[in-house]
Amino acid sequence: MIGLDDATVRFGSRTIIDDLSFSVRVGRTLAILGPNGRGKTTTLKAMLGFQRLDAGRRVAPEIVGYVPQTGASNQQRHRALDIAVMGRAAHLGLFGQPRASDFEIARSALERTGAARFANHFFDRLSGGERQLVLLARAIATGSQVLVLDEPAAALDLHNQERLLRLLNILREPRNKAIVFTTHDPNHALTAADEALLMMPDGQPLHGPVSEMITPQNLDRLYGVPMRVVELAGPDGCTHHAVLPAFAGIRAA
Amino acid sequence: MGLFHRLGSRLFLMGVLSSFAAQGAGAEEIVFKDQENREVRLAKAAERIVSIVIPMASTVIALDGSTKKLVGMNPTAKSAVVEGILGKIFPEAKDIPSDVTAPNFVPNVEALTATSPDLVIQWGGRGNDIVAPITNAGLTAMLILYGTEELTRDYMAMASKALGKPERITQLVEWRDRVQKDIEAKAASIPEDKRPSVLYLGRALSDISASGTKGSYNAWYIELVGGKNASAELNGTVSVNKEQIAQWDPEVIFLNAFEAKLNVDWVYSDPVLSLTKAAKNKRVYKMPLGGYRWDPPNQESPLSWMWTANLIQPGVFNYDVRAEMKAAYKTLYNYELTEADIDGILWVKEQGDATYYDQFRAK
Amino acid sequence: MAVVVQEQDARSVRIALARQTLVFGLLLLLFITAFIVSLCVGRFSVPAGRALELVWIGITDPARELTNIDERIVLLVRAPRVVLAALAGAGLAVSGAALQGVFRNPLVSPDILGISQGAAFGGALGIMLGIWGLPLIAMVFVFGLTALILVGLLSRINGRTETVTVILSGLVISSMFSAVVSLLQFIADPNTSLPAIVYWLMGSFATSTWQRTLIAAPGLIFGSLILWMLRFRLNILSLDEAEARSLGANTTRERWLVFGMIAIIVGSQVAVSGIIGWVGIVIPHAARLLVGHDHRALLPASVVLGAGFMVIIDTLARTATAAEIPLGVITALVGAPIFAVLLRNHYRERSAA
Repeated sequence: MIGLDDATVRFGSRTIIDDLSFSVRVGRTLAILGPNGRGKTTTLKAMLGFQRLDAGRRVAPEIVGYVPQTGASNQQRHRALDIAVMGRAAHLGLFGQPRASDFEIARSALERTGAARFANHFFDRLSGGERQLVLLARAIATGSQVLVLDEPAAALDLHNQERLLRLLNILREPRNKAIVFTTHDPNHALTAADEALLMMPDGQPLHGPVSEMITPQNLDRLYGVPMRVVELAGPDGCTHHAVLPAFAGIRAA
Repeated sequence: MGLFHRLGSRLFLMGVLSSFAAQGAGAEEIVFKDQENREVRLAKAAERIVSIVIPMASTVIALDGSTKKLVGMNPTAKSAVVEGILGKIFPEAKDIPSDVTAPNFVPNVEALTATSPDLVIQWGGRGNDIVAPITNAGLTAMLILYGTEELTRDYMAMASKALGKPERITQLVEWRDRVQKDIEAKAASIPEDKRPSVLYLGRALSDISASGTKGSYNAWYIELVGGKNASAELNGTVSVNKEQIAQWDPEVIFLNAFEAKLNVDWVYSDPVLSLTKAAKNKRVYKMPLGGYRWDPPNQESPLSWMWTANLIQPGVFNYDVRAEMKAAYKTLYNYELTEADIDGILWVKEQGDATYYDQFRAK
Repeated sequence: MAVVVQEQDARSVRIALARQTLVFGLLLLLFITAFIVSLCVGRFSVPAGRALELVWIGITDPARELTNIDERIVLLVRAPRVVLAALAGAGLAVSGAALQGVFRNPLVSPDILGISQGAAFGGALGIMLGIWGLPLIAMVFVFGLTALILVGLLSRINGRTETVTVILSGLVISSMFSAVVSLLQFIADPNTSLPAIVYWLMGSFATSTWQRTLIAAPGLIFGSLILWMLRFRLNILSLDEAEARSLGANTTRERWLVFGMIAIIVGSQVAVSGIIGWVGIVIPHAARLLVGHDHRALLPASVVLGAGFMVIIDTLARTATAAEIPLGVITALVGAPIFAVLLRNHYRERSAA
């Protein structure tokens, strides 16, 4: 489980997070939604323990599988497998060295994220999307029950967004992890999350199941852009929801 | 017997003569060219002299025969004066200011001006940065160059002239000339293979430094007295290692008088240096510390040559160094050296056991 | 298709492994050759065969009394010097590699923490006060450590230490100590202590004895060994702050552990051989080009390359001319161009990637 308990973060006189409480159980996926500058990243940092809280506390296991934004990770010349095996660090201690079993865990994590085929390639030679898969594998290799992804789709084209969301669903499927990701696209929440945390403009975030949170009213308020939620019939007969913004005042049909 | 004894009577005569001329000469303007070829112009004989140059402080004292005209000196010179025999001869020297310059010859203009010097003696050949502060303050500077006996005689003569005592330098130069010629004459007959290789170490404790022959005063008098400079292949004064010294394998080693903590045991207790010919034959000597350190050129240099000559060519030279010292100190400083003073200057207690050192013991 | 990919992959792994082995083999060969040649050459001529025989006697019968000058030169002058140079080179190189890792900046060197300048101040002060031998070494070491502690205190803001504040604090403390060193040079006796200080600041192994080597060796070996044990952790510490912490590293504390080890290494080295620049920056760079960024390979490669490099440089310093050439002069003359070439290649490659 990961979450915040009555957490408050202030930068000088500005309150970024005010008395925020929420938690994500193992087996659930939370999408933190909102436009830039609303405290998504601060909330994420607070959950990870990188942000000092002015009040309240964080609830989190000792090790959280953290996937930084692509490009934030540095560009050293390591093999992808060597990056993934770094996830084992917490189990190895200060002077420990990864053993064969640790490499095995790293390799299977790379397989889960579909990055096994470039396990022996140099990380700095991979594309942005490929690097993200490696970093996700590293987070999985930590063995933590919690995965936190910082804007995982931000730098991806549509094709890679599709692959990422598919991957998040695959990871969600066994229902053995608590997964948190931030995004500014409500469609990502609809596709890959069970719950949503909306960083509302008045400073009081809304938290609840995706189906209750992703409503035209909430999204209008959240983004300041009129939104429609449409239902689309999939080829298998199920109904899918999609959110359409109305840029320049043009309401989608 | 002593080279200075003959000189003594002549000096007395000259002194009497010059004292007649003194009043007239004192009022006259003194003009000469210094060793940077600058014109030095003094309205009258300098009464107040500052020496930023280290060895010149004791030279000024010697030229004047008193400390009255030395009004400022380098801190390093002061420590040599106060700790050496001059501190005993001229106890008032400890009150002479030494804040007029940093040890590295950069003058402190305010302290310097405060001593209101008629003349400031500074090194030439080291750039204008250490000279400009003196001249900008409106003070008269005399620049001198380091290195050879000729230069030494020349700048000592200038200082003497500036002091209004040109006759004083005549006697000192005459003494230098006489001793040098005497040594040259005796050394001329020494065949090449009888000239031992001699190593002078200018530093030893932190790193070891030795000098090539060109521009080295130490190498010059080593060769003057019938020795060979063991480190002749070097260029200037540079650091060397013990392996190199072992390769040279000098027959005589002279240690500098600058490093107070350095003594001959430094050689004898070293696993490599103790196997050199010099160490095996106990021919390792530390340079004496008299009115000034005997290594560089100064007013006592002829004593230094005689001491060196007796040690390097004991079969050729047998100067009575103790007697020469007594005579010289009488003339230079008007001081009667005691036997204990001489023992102290020559380190008889510390290195009296060395080969050929018996001759320097009091009879 | 997948099978083909895997086979190709397995082949590239094998090639990489073979390359790595070859690189380490060559580095070791370079070091061992440099070490042996260095023992055989010097200003005092000892035939190479005789020198090796003497070394063998020294190893097999260390208690033997040495009476001949060639024995003493090889075993008491050259051997401790070569060993010390190798240890110092290895220590400086491994310090540089570790430091560049934790700062995530390939341009930092051990001087950045102010250790060298602090140690230099200790040494200059010692020389001024006429202190020699063991007390001087102790003084150098204490001031090197003091500089590091000052940097630590200065850079710790609100209980946390940011990398950039460490670098800036290091700069401040370095400048302070080097200013005081200049002051000491200003007031030093130009006849005795000034040349000694200047010479010492330029670095030299000329005064090496077994005693000095044995004084420096424990710190050099201990520090390098601990850094080597931290090699996987250094991979973690060289990541972004947030990433490293998320992987379970207590970055601040562990970074200071690394700094402490570097202080021990650099303090021990400066204490016996003065300031030696460039090794800590050039060698890790070269090693990185050869074996990559992974500290598990980078640290051993830096150790071997640093030791070999230092032995070669010092051999040049003591044999090229009758005079000892200050090490700082040669390391800068050799190091700066190598560094320039490495840097250009590095960025050319990066911009091509």
